[in-house]
Amino acid sequence: MADTHAHAHHDHGDHGEHAHHPTGWRRWLYSTNHKDIGTLYLVLAIIASFVGVGFSMMMRLELAEPGLQFIHDQHFYNVILTAHGLIMVFFVVMPALIGGFGNWFIPLMIGCPDMAFPRMNNISFWLTAAGLILVALSTVVGGGAGTGWTVYPPLSNHTFHPGMSVDFAILSLHLAGAGSILGAINFITTIVNMRAPGMTFHRMPLFIWAMFITAFLLLLALPVLAGALTMLLTDRNFHTAFFEPSGGGDPIFWQHLFWFFGHPEVYIMIIPAFGIISQVVSTFSKKPVFGYLGMAYAMASIGVVGFVVWAHHMFTVGFNVETRAYFIIATMVIAVPTGIKIFSWLATMWGGSIEFKTPMLYAFGFIFLFVVGGVTGVTLSNAPVDMAFHDTYFVIAHFHYVLSIAAMFAIFTGMYYWLPKMCGKMYNEKLGQWQFWITFVGVNILFFPQHFLGMAGMPRRIADYPDAFAGWNMVSSSGAVVSLVGALLFFYILWDTLRNGAKAPANPWGIGATTLEWTVDSPAPFHTHEILPEIKAEPAGHH
Amino acid sequence: MDQTNRLKEQQRGIRLTVAGTLLFVSAMVGLVAVAEPLYKLFCQVTGYNGTPRIAEGQSSPGGVAETMTVRFDANVNREIAWKFKPAVNQVDVRIGEEMLAFYEATNTSSEPLVGTATFNVMPERVAPYFNKIQCFCFTEQVLKPGESVQMPVTFFIDPDMLKDQYARDIKTVTLSYTFFLNQDQSKAKALSATQANYSN
Repeated sequence: MADTHAHAHHDHGDHGEHAHHPTGWRRWLYSTNHKDIGTLYLVLAIIASFVGVGFSMMMRLELAEPGLQFIHDQHFYNVILTAHGLIMVFFVVMPALIGGFGNWFIPLMIGCPDMAFPRMNNISFWLTAAGLILVALSTVVGGGAGTGWTVYPPLSNHTFHPGMSVDFAILSLHLAGAGSILGAINFITTIVNMRAPGMTFHRMPLFIWAMFITAFLLLLALPVLAGALTMLLTDRNFHTAFFEPSGGGDPIFWQHLFWFFGHPEVYIMIIPAFGIISQVVSTFSKKPVFGYLGMAYAMASIGVVGFVVWAHHMFTVGFNVETRAYFIIATMVIAVPTGIKIFSWLATMWGGSIEFKTPMLYAFGFIFLFVVGGVTGVTLSNAPVDMAFHDTYFVIAHFHYVLSIAAMFAIFTGMYYWLPKMCGKMYNEKLGQWQFWITFVGVNILFFPQHFLGMAGMPRRIADYPDAFAGWNMVSSSGAVVSLVGALLFFYILWDTLRNGAKAPANPWGIGATTLEWTVDSPAPFHTHEILPEIKAEPAGHH
Repeated sequence: MDQTNRLKEQQRGIRLTVAGTLLFVSAMVGLVAVAEPLYKLFCQVTGYNGTPRIAEGQSSPGGVAETMTVRFDANVNREIAWKFKPAVNQVDVRIGEEMLAFYEATNTSSEPLVGTATFNVMPERVAPYFNKIQCFCFTEQVLKPGESVQMPVTFFIDPDMLKDQYARDIKTVTLSYTFFLNQDQSKAKALSATQANYSN
């Protein structure tokens, strides 16, 4: 008995020596540490962004002038745009905002040592990584998947995509989806049960609220995608007819299932961004967030209403007028909580002692871009307008303003804001501000003219266009070059920070940074909050 | 001791939360698993997507004074080598009266083919009142090479339509069919086999 005890004790000692600080590839492959897994997600997003952005640059290169210069095969163009969409949505924005910042900062901000299920966290990440490999393969096997990220049948069925490419894309989304569901369970369990003593729900930082709501959306939306994809997979390979009219199925049924997932998906991408922007605006205005509870419940109501508006993506399928009226109104309702958020950010800044550090510039950029994209969203929510704009560049401009560049701006915001905490070094502020202005100017030159192209009737997903659209397309492609310079400069800044950055203090942002992650050292030690902090005062982010 | 109690409490909470989240996931999985029959049911009940009523074995309620023009539309999917057209392009019917119409289909290929037709009614508003008593689309059709057949459809328009303020002003309705190659071609194969036997 005494022997066993001694042995157990010895074992425990070993544990402390090695397993807590695994090194080399073991540290990453077997990682159960929330910070390391967060870093892995961010690295995955960066790698995927090279591919995803690379594809978009190929498209802008081809679209710079009318006629076919570089891409002579329209199917290949479709393959590129499909991979661009899938990679940016599932392997750049989601891993960075949810897996990356979520894993890094949920435990740090709610004051607990790690996630509730550290090992499940590991499998979440590696499922996502496997998904990325499968989606990359889908572009090269069997002629490539040229279905668009919406994978609509009949284009995605075995008649029009006979190779294995679409199957690879489907399995990729299955894996990434499974990883996200496990991650969401982990997030919810951690946030519900492991908050530091005294941190009530109404004292949680807004970033935690954002991740909490996002996790619920993942939990409810992804099973629907998984089910729909499975039906498509069996339609393609096992002669079922869920979406095949020849067997009594209906392709419109796919659209309903896809968008029942797809619309919440856009909030899955943007609600974490709302959380980051709230933290940053409060920090650099040196004021608590205006209307904290309103902000939290605005996000929650966006999440709820987001589940009942999906058919506004399919106004052209031939709904009767009552159905359209309902989806128009429900969609427009979302502008109300969104407006609450925008005005609360402005009210937070109002009278604040604003410091224009790079993260704050990016937060401003986010708000501007999100408002532009939000306004075109309200425009498109009108079914009669949408009938005209459906599948034109106006839609491209709209969703790139809200999802791609606003979400990317939130990622940049988070990266600049938390980089000192993550790597313990300060980035070069001057370069950071240059990077912001180059990117801000670039993306607006890139996407704003696409509104004009869309209103003039230029269809999306086509590699060529009439000469009349040449001017604005050239402007748009020039903007792509400027944006690319901004993106490359960001990677230089990242490299420069890791190599030459000055040592960051625990809290580099001063009195505005009140959340718990700024109470631990920079870089955040491998283990944090082993002694639980106690929260006695106002909600985090309040003074 | 306080610490241990707290941890125990936390463990309990974690188990409960995980059970709750799994409940959410399984509820959504369940929902998507029954989505397909639910969608079909929804279409049949509401006439959504122009799904007409199937009134097999029922009889028409008898005509009223108002008439309507019923137009016939025929389409063929490119995978099946058939010709398919209505015998007449349109008829005027008294609302409530039973009507028999014919379509003609010809197999232009050199092998027997099994086809199935999908159907809908436009405008959608009329769909819930458009009752099909008998229709070739209810069963799969087998045509020998070069064979032509007349395919009957019996229908009536429910006079309740005249009480529906959103549908009563509609004077023309289009009944549309599209023939597809049935994924199950076993009946065609059986037919070729018997023919081969006879010629032997």
